[in-house]
Amino acid sequence: MDHVNAGTIAVGAGQEEARGIGSDGMTLRQMLKRSRQAYEATGCYRGITNPCVLQRDPVRAELFHTRLLSALIAGREKTRMISASPYVREVSELAIGIYTPEGDNIAQSTGIQAHSRSMGEALQWMIEQDWEGRVGIAPGDLFWFNECSIAGMHPADVYDILPIFWQGELVAWVVTVIMEMDIGAITPGCMPVPNIERATDGIRFAGEKVGSRDQLRHDIHLKCELSFDMSDVFLLDRKGAIAANIHIRGEVEKMIGEFGLDYFKSAGGELIEMERRNQLARLRRMTVPGRYRNVGVFEYFMKDQPLTWLAARKDVIRVAPVETRIETSGRVTIDLEGAGEWGWHSCNATPSGMWGCLSISLVQTLSCDGRANLGSLLPFDLELPRNSIFNPQDTRPLAQANIWATTIESFGVWLTSLSQAYYMRGFREEMLGFRSAFAIAMAGYDQYGVRRPMVSGTVGTIGAAASAVRDGLSPGGAVPVPHVDVGNVEIWEQFMPYLDLSRRLNPYSVGPGKYRSGLSMPTISLIFGGRDITGGALLAGGTYNILPNLGLGGGYPGAKLVRAVVRNTNAMELIAEGKPLPAQLGHPAHPDFASMLKGDIWLPHHVPEPFELQTGDVVVDANGAAGGYGDPLEREPGRILRDLEDGSTTVDIAERIHGAVCHQREDDGCWEIDAAATSALREQHRKDRKARAVPVHDWWQGVRQRLARREFHPLIAEMYGSSMAMSPAFADEFRAFWALPATWTPEVK
Amino acid sequence: MAPGNDDLVALIDGRLPANEVRDIVSRPKEQDRFQRVLEILQARTGWTDRILMPLSEHLYIVQKGAERIVRCDCGHEFGDYRCNWKLRAHILVRDDLESLEQIYPGLSAPNPELGELREFICPDCASLLKVESVPCGYPVIFDALPDLDGFYREWLGTPLPDSGEFRDLTPEVLGDWGRTTA
Repeated sequence: MDHVNAGTIAVGAGQEEARGIGSDGMTLRQMLKRSRQAYEATGCYRGITNPCVLQRDPVRAELFHTRLLSALIAGREKTRMISASPYVREVSELAIGIYTPEGDNIAQSTGIQAHSRSMGEALQWMIEQDWEGRVGIAPGDLFWFNECSIAGMHPADVYDILPIFWQGELVAWVVTVIMEMDIGAITPGCMPVPNIERATDGIRFAGEKVGSRDQLRHDIHLKCELSFDMSDVFLLDRKGAIAANIHIRGEVEKMIGEFGLDYFKSAGGELIEMERRNQLARLRRMTVPGRYRNVGVFEYFMKDQPLTWLAARKDVIRVAPVETRIETSGRVTIDLEGAGEWGWHSCNATPSGMWGCLSISLVQTLSCDGRANLGSLLPFDLELPRNSIFNPQDTRPLAQANIWATTIESFGVWLTSLSQAYYMRGFREEMLGFRSAFAIAMAGYDQYGVRRPMVSGTVGTIGAAASAVRDGLSPGGAVPVPHVDVGNVEIWEQFMPYLDLSRRLNPYSVGPGKYRSGLSMPTISLIFGGRDITGGALLAGGTYNILPNLGLGGGYPGAKLVRAVVRNTNAMELIAEGKPLPAQLGHPAHPDFASMLKGDIWLPHHVPEPFELQTGDVVVDANGAAGGYGDPLEREPGRILRDLEDGSTTVDIAERIHGAVCHQREDDGCWEIDAAATSALREQHRKDRKARAVPVHDWWQGVRQRLARREFHPLIAEMYGSSMAMSPAFADEFRAFWALPATWTPEVK
Repeated sequence: MAPGNDDLVALIDGRLPANEVRDIVSRPKEQDRFQRVLEILQARTGWTDRILMPLSEHLYIVQKGAERIVRCDCGHEFGDYRCNWKLRAHILVRDDLESLEQIYPGLSAPNPELGELREFICPDCASLLKVESVPCGYPVIFDALPDLDGFYREWLGTPLPDSGEFRDLTPEVLGDWGRTTA
């Protein structure tokens, strides 16, 4: 392996510290410092300018990588067999990564691949804090980590860390992440919204050594039993993770025996460098250099939350320009200059969380060949303004249960910009896009009389964006869950005190277009059993009132979330009488839950304050889908016909949005489209557009006059005020766009 | 294996079956895809002006004499590609419940007090070119400003004649608008 001579770097073996557990007697801290300096000097991972070990024998290299990957995937499956949580067994909310001694990801299993970089950040924090000297790292030691002020996506994602040694030298780390349904957070759920301070997030571990010789410490075991309502699930998840890590350690030992230690050490680093090069090559092959812009909007409603620190009880909206610059070198900068200020809520993103969401976005597009690792991310730079919602100055005192809310929203719109680049380059089939989502978390006594948090796994049922060659996948468009496995409803019904009434896709969720987005699948839950249940939001997104800007080429974004809680219903009477219950959303203007049930309807927004639930209540969560592509008036009648026949659209949508005149035959129920009437109706729609549309210049004049009079909603005024205070560049561009005076500021009430 | 010409045409037209689209997605990306797509699009428009890059369903950057302009496939021209073409489009804004409910009925409509939908329309053919969903008052988004010269020179290895400066000209147009308004 060619790399920068270690002798040219300030820190070498034995220069600063005693003999370490790393390569050539170096400490891990020395190895990390040397690797970073070599990258700075050469632009190549660990200074590997010539990855000759892999290139010398490509077949052997392929065998090496495949063995590593299959060990990780087998480990992941092993965890699923041991764990008790439906989140692991049903939805596969876990992933495993293998790391260099310096904490850099070499390979990762399938699953929640948001963590490949942040698990490495956790390792590197431990290395920098001299875990080796001050805590001790020995074969068989077990460490836990979920301290999101340092690294991670939210405290519910717990990392199980195991070092791998060979003849006294630490040669790798293996880390498994599992999302926990109970992390000891306040009610409701494992990702509670009514929390602003870190203690309300639940228990955090910052690399604590929780076991040795592959065994958990007894006191840690007891601490878990005391701390969690669902300690059995938490501890079984840990056992599943430890078993996976031990399995992978065994496989690594076998590989070192077969390939040799030098090969193992060199090949790990070279896999990262090769992926860095391949990622640059893919960017240059599939995109176009230039500047791309979109906007992210984030609505944080805390005014009605039961917070004990009253100063934090306020609603805010934040806006963030999302600018992507692709250089001719292939490097990409994602710049969020202009993002508004962070706040006292649990939804602020962090740099680690943003890298995590970039990571899971990339494995679903550019880096989808199973080789994604740290190298996939090295061509990227994230510019996250200090003190913005993406980079609060001090995250230690903050609750961080809902980092996802902001990160997902950002990368949903970022993928739309990437799709624009794919289109311009000719790879229109590669266009993709996702949408954020919401669900309900609960806590209380379940149907077995056990008090505990309850979080269902159906948040990933989102219709994916259309591309320029086809409709989007139904439902396949949630950023954090690439596999979009909602699990078996019968299992969830055993785990939660509810009966699931719906598995029917919602035609009113879509982003219309020449090609429509996929359809989202609503969750309609009849609370059944249990008592003293409190419901609240589960946030996997940030935008509610303002639709995310996800349409391309004339397509529209998907619809708004339709959420309803129907209390004091007659559902139990309907069941007793054998009458139907609402099994779909129906038309959003007169939804089935309103027409089929008697009861008190409450329509909470995406961040409702905690509310009571009891048997017979019905909770509806119908998420919107991602974006459509192209003018909806250009949708082929054949596609509309197919959608009508399989229930993916309605005659109402077909006529109103697509200008298609259709009717259902009385004899056999099949649909027909009247071609001549459709053509005439579409022409009429175009004439109407032309008659009503005005030159942008005329519209611009009207808007700037309203802005000059500060005719804003107070939340919007505060939002712009925050961004303008944070970023003079944003303020200048905003004023310049609307030709407003240099002294103009939005009125903040 | 790269998709054949027939498959590429079918792909562009949205006629390729899903399993064949998936096959193409799974394959390595061919080096000459850009040029092949451009040839197909050039033939379809029948323009003598060279298409330099497709921007979206109806919009292209074309070389017209010494200028590089955005043009709709109906022939309407939107000016220099380095200025946001939306400024020269027509617009329909959905900023009240009635107009939003035409697309998103009932409970599925967004809140017009906080955000709006902007539909950018071709002044000639009335095609819907782009829908923007933004907070009220957000500046019109310049979705994509490609570095055409960098792309042709460094990525394709076929530099364009008469290279232009890679910069956003939108502020200059807005400056003119502002002076006129003032």
